[in-house]
Amino acid sequence: MISLIAWRNVWRNPLRSGIVGLAIAIGLVSGVFMVSLQFGILESRTRDIIQTQISHIQLHHPQYEKGGETKFILENGPQVFEALSKEPYVKSISARILIPAMLESSKGNFGVELIGVNPEEEAELTLLKDRMVAGDYFKEGRSVGIVIGRKLAEKIGVKVTDENGEDSYNFRRRLVFRFQTASNEISSLRVKVVGVYQTANSLLEEAQVFIQRKDVDHILEIPGEIHEIALITDDRKEFIEEKLTKVNALPAIAGNEGAKVETWSDIAPDIQFFAETIAASSRIIMIIILLALAFGIINTMLMAVLERTRELGMLMSVGMNKLKIFTMIMLETVFLTFIGAPIGLLTGWGLITYFGKQGIDMGVFTEGSEQFGFSSIVYPELPATSYQEIIIMVILTALLSAIYPAYKALQLNPSEAVRAI
Amino acid sequence: MLLKLAWRNLWRNKRRTLITTASIFVAVILSTFMRSLQEGSYNEMIKNAVSFYSGYIQIHKNGYWDEQKLDNSFEDLDVVKAALSGDKRVTVATPRIESALLISSGEKTHIAQIVGTNPEQEDQLTNLAAKVVEGRYLTSDDQGLMIAAGIAEKLKVGVGDSLILLGQGYHGVSANEIYPIIGIVKYASPLLNKRIMFLPLKEAQEMFVAQEMLTSYAINVENPKQSEKVAQALKAELNSEEYEVMPWTELSPDLIKMIEGDRAGGYLFMAILYVIIGFGIFGTALMMINERQYEFGVMTAIGMKRGKLARLLTLEMVIMAILGVIAGFIAAIPIITYFQFNPITFKGEAAKAYEAFNIAPIIPTMLDFGVIASQALVVLIITLLISIYPILQLLRLDPIKAMRT
Repeated sequence: MISLIAWRNVWRNPLRSGIVGLAIAIGLVSGVFMVSLQFGILESRTRDIIQTQISHIQLHHPQYEKGGETKFILENGPQVFEALSKEPYVKSISARILIPAMLESSKGNFGVELIGVNPEEEAELTLLKDRMVAGDYFKEGRSVGIVIGRKLAEKIGVKVTDENGEDSYNFRRRLVFRFQTASNEISSLRVKVVGVYQTANSLLEEAQVFIQRKDVDHILEIPGEIHEIALITDDRKEFIEEKLTKVNALPAIAGNEGAKVETWSDIAPDIQFFAETIAASSRIIMIIILLALAFGIINTMLMAVLERTRELGMLMSVGMNKLKIFTMIMLETVFLTFIGAPIGLLTGWGLITYFGKQGIDMGVFTEGSEQFGFSSIVYPELPATSYQEIIIMVILTALLSAIYPAYKALQLNPSEAVRAI
Repeated sequence: MLLKLAWRNLWRNKRRTLITTASIFVAVILSTFMRSLQEGSYNEMIKNAVSFYSGYIQIHKNGYWDEQKLDNSFEDLDVVKAALSGDKRVTVATPRIESALLISSGEKTHIAQIVGTNPEQEDQLTNLAAKVVEGRYLTSDDQGLMIAAGIAEKLKVGVGDSLILLGQGYHGVSANEIYPIIGIVKYASPLLNKRIMFLPLKEAQEMFVAQEMLTSYAINVENPKQSEKVAQALKAELNSEEYEVMPWTELSPDLIKMIEGDRAGGYLFMAILYVIIGFGIFGTALMMINERQYEFGVMTAIGMKRGKLARLLTLEMVIMAILGVIAGFIAAIPIITYFQFNPITFKGEAAKAYEAFNIAPIIPTMLDFGVIASQALVVLIITLLISIYPILQLLRLDPIKAMRT
């Protein structure tokens, strides 16, 4: 009965209720959509990082670490590689030598990560070939050729930008690498830059130098051996644990103490960090939006109570008890909120589902990401837990903003209230 | 006359006025708070990045930044010192000489950046002494190394062990030396943790055979926002042929790019917030007009021109907007100040993720009167725009209908 009165009261002033409802709907749609965009951006970055940098699964010697020692080779590397290449779920795979090296140039010395690869494997796995900006993707010649990042090319004077902003490349520079061999001797290698690649991460562009595996394995005293195998499977990154079990069960790996298998999430814990940051910041966004909505609701309901002083006084005089008045105003506020909330949430969900399939071109905001070989299309998405969280927050907002106006209504004195104009 | 009428109208029904003013007031507080939070988080990001190592401004020999080698060092002359000590906004200027070298524990070899620095000033700049995890912090007269924990781990060495340094000094002379390890520092950034080691300035200059030479001055300023201005002032003071002065915006262009990208998202969010608070104010303003239909009807019926009535109402709205905005402005200051010193702190998983990167899991606000004033102005404009609709309605008012409500 009370709820019916409250419902009718809400519609006595359709314009007012409409405005509040619209505000709530717009607030929720935009809030939910914005949060889903953030999750979408994270998702596409993660995909890019997996595609161009870390792959799905990596194998190393258990004691191996980045910038570590030459002697920690993957045990039975070539056999492991062979076995993995035959697995049907492995889409692309690359075997690498990875050592820290000092690059000595006339422009100064730079600590780099020297990566020995088989050019064809690497082109397929991390699309290195597609990311070339100048020169050749390796070529046979008298001298040992290396492929370096654009940023490093700038630093050692291979890339020169003239006053008009035009880039030109000078591939005649000779450089020397100095590194430690498997027996801890210091050795050096003369090389020539043959090509320049680019990537979205300027730190990597500065640090990673690619060389052909066959050009370094002998000088490092690890002929035919490798430090790392990286591979991409035919499955989505969420289901990689399943593949991990399969990889671990391979005969070449199961009994191999000198091989450790890791997934992308073990290798890049910072992705988790960004996910947490985004979850936290989207919570703040939703709280501020709901706070703003709550004040709109409270103000409107306060006005409504004030405007109906006489009516409420009358109701009290004819015997409607305080609890009922309180409940009525509470219900009015809650109804008011629930006009807009479902519309807002459903529209938001619809938009996210639609654009989650179609994608949104964020090229305007992420300027130049396309030229890194990344797609600038973002697919917004919102985890189910976020929906639940938002719905709970909306209900809390409705209840909390209902209390004050209802309390105000209680404080009316019937005999004074009926006299009000 | 009209002003007096408007003023009296407002106080005739105090509660109604208060509610409308309150919606403007809350709008100002929310939007200033949000903007302060955004700017505060950028500030925290910059502070985190800059205070690790680079400082807010650096001075080098002209051309050093593009070719970071010892041959591009400069003599530590009084001109530079005078320029630095002459600027009161400069809180600390740390002289450094740095270059990459091979270091070896005899069996294992690693590449590291050797930073020769003045230990006291380095501590003021990057709070380095607090990062010591083993041994002790350097003094100016030490003849030993302080290395980052990542290097110690890799080379399997500890305090008391000796390291061999191999490389090139100034103008290609060879720089080889053996030093004991005095202390170990732990950096949050994995990159620095694997790369950096320190020597007292004098010792490093001797090893590189580069007496009195520096590769950079790393500078902190009183107020980070002044970095650009201070850099400009230093630039003007120093011969630009010989020196380059770079604020952090040029030292870490990636950071600026990241902040700018984030700012675009921040503006989008502000736009959403404006729409929501705009609706809130619109709702209350509209209610106010509806409630007073009868009154307006009577006024028109007894001969008040609609135009004049509209002017009266506009005046009322302007007064309320100004009151709300001023009150919001005043109330926002303590709120923002509070959250500056008691920042929003993440808990649970998010906090763990932050701590893994050794970044404090906090978002402080930043009190900036420019930000508050601009937000107050935006809300004022929104309020005035919103008043247009009810006033247009008033111009079409039919007194007979209005009086019947």
